[in-house]
Amino acid sequence: MSTPREPLRRVVIVGAGQLGVLAAIAFRQALPVCQTVLVGQKPSPASFADWSPTALPFTNKLHDRLGIEERDIVLKAGGSYQLVTRYEGWSGNGEAGTVSFGETLDPSLKTAFARDWGGYRQDPLGMRPAGSLSQVLADAGRFAPPPPDEETPISQIDYALRWNPAAYRSLLIERAKALDVQYVEGRVEHVSLLDTEGSGGIRAITIAGQGEIEADLFVDCSGPEATLLASMPEFASVGWSASLPTRTVYTGQIGTPVIALDDRISLGPLGWLTQTAGRDGLYTTLGVGEGVERDAALGALGMQATAAITISPGRAAQPWIGNVAAIGDAAARFEPVGPYHLDLAHRQLDLLLEMLPGREIHPLERAEYNRRSSLMMEGVREVLAMHFASAGARRVLGDMALPGRISDVIDQFQRRGRIPFREESPLLAQEQFALLVALGFKPGLPPAAHHRDEREEERARAQFAAASNAALQFAPPYKQWLVSVLQPAAKT
Amino acid sequence: MTAFSSRPVRVVVLGGGTAGWMTAAGIARLLPELAQVQLVESEDIGIVGVGEATLPHIRGFVEKLGIDEAAFMKATHATYKLGIDFRDFGRIGESYIHPFGSFGEELNGVGFHHYWLELQRSGMARPLGDYSLAVTAASANRFKPPAQDDSLASTYGYAYQFDATLFGPFMREFGLSIGVERHEGKVVSVDRDGESGDVRALVLDDGRRIEGDLFIDCSGFRSVLLGQELGSDWEDWTHWLPCDRAAAMPCSHATDELRPYTTATAMPAGWRWQIPLQHRMGNGYVFSSAHLGEDEACEAIRAAAEGEPLADPRILRFRPGRRARSWSHNVIGVGLASGFLEPLESTSIYLAQMAITYLIELFPEDGQIDPRDRDEFNRLVDMEYDRVRDFLILHYHATTRDDSEFWNHVRTMTVPDSLAEKMELWRKAGRIEKYSDGLFYDASWIAVYVGQGFLPQQHDVRPALGNPQQLAGAAQNLRSAIEREVAAMPGHRDFLHAEAARLSLAT
Repeated sequence: MSTPREPLRRVVIVGAGQLGVLAAIAFRQALPVCQTVLVGQKPSPASFADWSPTALPFTNKLHDRLGIEERDIVLKAGGSYQLVTRYEGWSGNGEAGTVSFGETLDPSLKTAFARDWGGYRQDPLGMRPAGSLSQVLADAGRFAPPPPDEETPISQIDYALRWNPAAYRSLLIERAKALDVQYVEGRVEHVSLLDTEGSGGIRAITIAGQGEIEADLFVDCSGPEATLLASMPEFASVGWSASLPTRTVYTGQIGTPVIALDDRISLGPLGWLTQTAGRDGLYTTLGVGEGVERDAALGALGMQATAAITISPGRAAQPWIGNVAAIGDAAARFEPVGPYHLDLAHRQLDLLLEMLPGREIHPLERAEYNRRSSLMMEGVREVLAMHFASAGARRVLGDMALPGRISDVIDQFQRRGRIPFREESPLLAQEQFALLVALGFKPGLPPAAHHRDEREEERARAQFAAASNAALQFAPPYKQWLVSVLQPAAKT
Repeated sequence: MTAFSSRPVRVVVLGGGTAGWMTAAGIARLLPELAQVQLVESEDIGIVGVGEATLPHIRGFVEKLGIDEAAFMKATHATYKLGIDFRDFGRIGESYIHPFGSFGEELNGVGFHHYWLELQRSGMARPLGDYSLAVTAASANRFKPPAQDDSLASTYGYAYQFDATLFGPFMREFGLSIGVERHEGKVVSVDRDGESGDVRALVLDDGRRIEGDLFIDCSGFRSVLLGQELGSDWEDWTHWLPCDRAAAMPCSHATDELRPYTTATAMPAGWRWQIPLQHRMGNGYVFSSAHLGEDEACEAIRAAAEGEPLADPRILRFRPGRRARSWSHNVIGVGLASGFLEPLESTSIYLAQMAITYLIELFPEDGQIDPRDRDEFNRLVDMEYDRVRDFLILHYHATTRDDSEFWNHVRTMTVPDSLAEKMELWRKAGRIEKYSDGLFYDASWIAVYVGQGFLPQQHDVRPALGNPQQLAGAAQNLRSAIEREVAAMPGHRDFLHAEAARLSLAT
């Protein structure tokens, strides 16, 4: 007869940025009998997951599960919607590309697009057709979140949310307080291990001026310093410097507000630049490789920098040791080319909740967590490595080693338009396909697509055109919709 | 009429069994401009014809080839299949259905089986299968295709049980109709390139040379090209899967009932299948020759079969395992020539189909084989075989049976590390190692673990934190919804008749 695990009595989450607060909410909700204590201060700017003004669609699902309302993010945290990301400069030949979310294309249409994108058939105007409904809407500036319980022409559209990180964190804190999450402010001064070898993990941590806190499980959300995990005797890192070239990241001052459905990730002469549109302002981040002078970098950033962050990329070999599980920047350090930090952190948090241990932690469940969490982290590294394998990036940042099976993935893509399946990838196959195109790689045709069913492709094109029209008619102008939502809120 | 290839790749398929004709038809249909397909078969060489029951994937294959489902079912005397009823595996007298479908629903990120384990602890659980629509429908001998939405009625899939001796010929007829060129004859020698070692041509007994760029070995266990000619190593798995024979014997139907599921009943030295077709019942005893003689097995199947025998028992011999490399030089093994796993989970046709699908994805367009494609093919095929292997071993190892030497062996044997870790994770914490690639996912593993009485020591704490009556009430609501759904389904036989009537009206 199976019996339920003896529940954790107390879980301590270290790191009180937007990730730590969300983790506290998640644990508190999952396990109301367990005391949840959030420890820490606002994290340093080097903790990218904690300062990210956006994530990927997975976060929306996590929010739903945790009772964090999209509407509240829009009304109280400067929330806005992102449908596509534009990539510029990566191809090295002037071609730009657009990536949307999800895997919704008709297979025949995908083949047709592969033909168009691969340059097998030149449109006389040199224009590529839009690759997705999201792109059609983003190009037209039309969108409103589809009503959840109704089938509409835009129900299939996946989107990411953006927000103001400080306001979003405040929103989460409000929720955490309502759930009775306990908060202790201060720095971790000392870590007491359970035994001399430390294999069992941490007995208690001491907070400056606050005393000692014991717990059954410690979740390390402290950012790249990994306050807890790095104090475990078995802690070890896997270096990523050979495959990821960015050494310094400059975050710019928040610019003027931008209402847009698209964000930009571009490559310039010194490095990459991301621009995330926010209702509170444009977020700009620049990444450069080794040897780029500060002044030159600031010139490329085009504004004053609020922080210059040195990056030494890598991940924890075992993100869960003893009773300490690290998520986000505490588990992996890499450059913020796209919102992968927060997406990764949220997927790791979700995995930790799926594998929620009892007071006794079985080594095999820890091993399974570490296996999947490591697959997630390596998956992010591989997606980043795709960027740095592009012709433009190689010119600017030099040739980097290709990690994992990326060389095979690019080879299969270029010769066959095929994306081999990979467990725990941050991107779906179709998203990877669109990303590689946007980075300037030319997709090959799958063997079965050589046999061209013109009628089938024509049908798929006609269907896509009809769906585009329906979506454009259904979706209001985005700016107008946003104003209409915000105005009544402003009055109350 | 594309600009991509100069001349079509000459594909030569050796062997006219199920795998051979599926391969020939698949390539001819899906790569019409890239490949020119020839098939060599001999009427003197028998067809093994194991694998009368299939998995839901076969539907995608049939559909992709543009074959009408009803026509296909009529030709192969097919019935619908919702899963497999395993009897006496964990313990004599106990049974469970492994469905093509799920049990309950995940709630707040916690898998349904944790809630079920908690209900069971408090004595309020019905058997796990009662929370599966597929299992409930199968037990009631009812069938309807699943809904195409997110409702309860969409929570299952289906496959076919068909006459394998008719499926091969059906695919042959189809293959010939779309341009596969057939050669009757036996291969007497194989011409190979002196330098590369690639196969250049098959020489037939009447002296004909069948030249090709790519050779697909579908010659069954003989593995004429991959095994005999190229000597690709065979990884033997007999120590984990000792069954290496089958005594097959068709019978008439003993009753009017037509089960939409296959039955696998554990026997002292293996297990026996019952596969209901439209016109007869397929029977067979899969056994370990180290534990039972062939004559005894024939006697046992005669005694166990319920209907009138339609033929004498026939012995099939096989070896569990797979080739170290399924694609070597310019030869690709599909079906038994590349590997064999016993039909306990009806995976034979799936494994052939899987290899064909990957081959089409990785097809050498200009006849020049890129080693990277060959490596990718071998990686994928190995992954598929190894994962299915572990799942099959589980059926034998997760048992308390100690009534025969065979069961004592499989119960106490050392299993592959990959399986031992999975079982230990389940035993300790009720968790499933998660993969999204390969064939069998969480629900399948849970069906076998729970069905064979291999319960974890502990489950997730969260289901125990709520109100137990409320949990029981929610489970009962699910059960009632399933019962209503099943009550509205037609009987399996009635549904088949209605489909047959529809087909005859359409023609």
